[in-house]
Amino acid sequence: MTESKPISDIAYDASEGDTTSRRRLSAYAAKALQWLLKLVPGIALLVFWQWASGRLIKEIYVSKPTAVAQRLYELFASGEIYPHLWTTGQELVFGYVIGVAGGVIGGYTLGRSLRLARIFEPYVMAFYGVPKIALAPLFIIWFGIGMGSKIALASIMVFFLVFYNVFAGVRSVDRELVNLTLVMGANQRQLTYHVFLPAAAPFVMLGMRLAIPYSVIGVIVGEFTSSAQGLGLFIHEASSTYDPAGVFAGIVILLGFVTIANFLAGRLERQLLRWRSLSGTGPIDI
Amino acid sequence: MGDRVLAFEAIGQDFPAPGQRTNIRVLDGINFEVDRGKFVAVIGPSGCGKSTLLQMAAGLLMPTRGAVRHRGRKVSTINTEVGFVPQQAQLFPWKTLAENVELPLLLRGVAADERRERVANAIGSVGLEGFEQHFPSQLSGGMQKRGSIARTLVYRPDIILMDEPFGALDAQTRMVMQSDLQTLSMEAGATIVFVTHDITEAVLLADHVVVLSQRPSRLLANIPIDLPRPRNTFEPFRNLGFEAAYDAVWTEFRSQIDTGHVH
Repeated sequence: MTESKPISDIAYDASEGDTTSRRRLSAYAAKALQWLLKLVPGIALLVFWQWASGRLIKEIYVSKPTAVAQRLYELFASGEIYPHLWTTGQELVFGYVIGVAGGVIGGYTLGRSLRLARIFEPYVMAFYGVPKIALAPLFIIWFGIGMGSKIALASIMVFFLVFYNVFAGVRSVDRELVNLTLVMGANQRQLTYHVFLPAAAPFVMLGMRLAIPYSVIGVIVGEFTSSAQGLGLFIHEASSTYDPAGVFAGIVILLGFVTIANFLAGRLERQLLRWRSLSGTGPIDI
Repeated sequence: MGDRVLAFEAIGQDFPAPGQRTNIRVLDGINFEVDRGKFVAVIGPSGCGKSTLLQMAAGLLMPTRGAVRHRGRKVSTINTEVGFVPQQAQLFPWKTLAENVELPLLLRGVAADERRERVANAIGSVGLEGFEQHFPSQLSGGMQKRGSIARTLVYRPDIILMDEPFGALDAQTRMVMQSDLQTLSMEAGATIVFVTHDITEAVLLADHVVVLSQRPSRLLANIPIDLPRPRNTFEPFRNLGFEAAYDAVWTEFRSQIDTGHVH
């Protein structure tokens, strides 16, 4: 609709105010309907789960949504979950941040230097192929059963994902654009700031988004293997005491973590890559 | 005249051929000069190394033999005194039009006040007022090209190198752009080296047309075009003497097309 409008026609006429507000109202209604449609499969699944539990499958195997909700309430009301939350939250944040920082720096350095890339790429490639989960026991030995080992495991999983994306991103920068900027008078620092970093930004964002679930996997596997505190330990204990409601409660909390992280990453992405989301449209009517 | 800005001296260039031990000779003994305020068009068949010459003038590529001299000084590193307008507009997609045009000034450490004024002037001179805050993806191909030219004009380079700048535009847009480029270059007294494979474009815009042969490229002719300015870019045949000038270039060029196997 907006595409066909002339570019100067951004501001609406006063006489159009009435129809505009009505149009806006219907836009809200459409949005609400969209959300409702989105919720339908989720609600259907929950209802089916509730119904099937105890009818099709024994409750001891799958629990049921109301029991999980009940369990979640108890956990938060009694404060039992907070130490676990706090530990896992810290591990996730540190592991993620360290992994992303390392991946960006490493990927950028190798992406910029052909010589370094030639030397180090086979090594990175080989380590990339190692299933990082298999390192968990080793990391426990190296970094202890505290947070260190989980942070290490999460950050190494995050690192490779971000590393490869940033490396590819920097490599894909158009050579002509770089030459052009040099002729315009850029030094290396300016070239990094004005060309390579913004050009690599979409790849960095992609790597960061992909890395979110991987950081969770790293931390939880680490906690499963050996730990004194954390959601992974909580889930592990719940499952070994035949408490499926506890397991699902733990999973729901993890889901919350991932959702929040995804939301934050989405916000950051829209901020950094504003120029991308605007492509192809005429006027900017946000 | 003596006011020599750019000189190509016996330029030879070899490129390694994929899968062969011998190199491909692309350019062979190219000699020509560009005087101040002149518009020189370089024309030749595809793959003859026209663009390579521009890259040498910008210091992005060192010739295998010979040298490029810019005001007597041999070009041996990136030449920041030239401006480069590539075939694709190559605006930075993450910068708005104004930020794109501002970049060369920013890189050169021009003060903020002066930057703002010169950016406004440059954008105005290519007729893009009102689009300062648009991103390149929101501009048409012709507008992007104008932005690219503004980004070059803004820092007043000693020479402007243009590599088939209008090749990717549709016919109508190209005529308008040719006309505007003529006006801009006349007003600014700019020195321009313009690579193209379009004879009409070369004859319409240039003071001298340099004709290159097929690979290995030699210089076939350096033909002065003495048509009065401003020239009519919309109806080339209306320019008095256009036919004769076109003929002079075509006579040199036709042999390269008749025998052409490589395109």
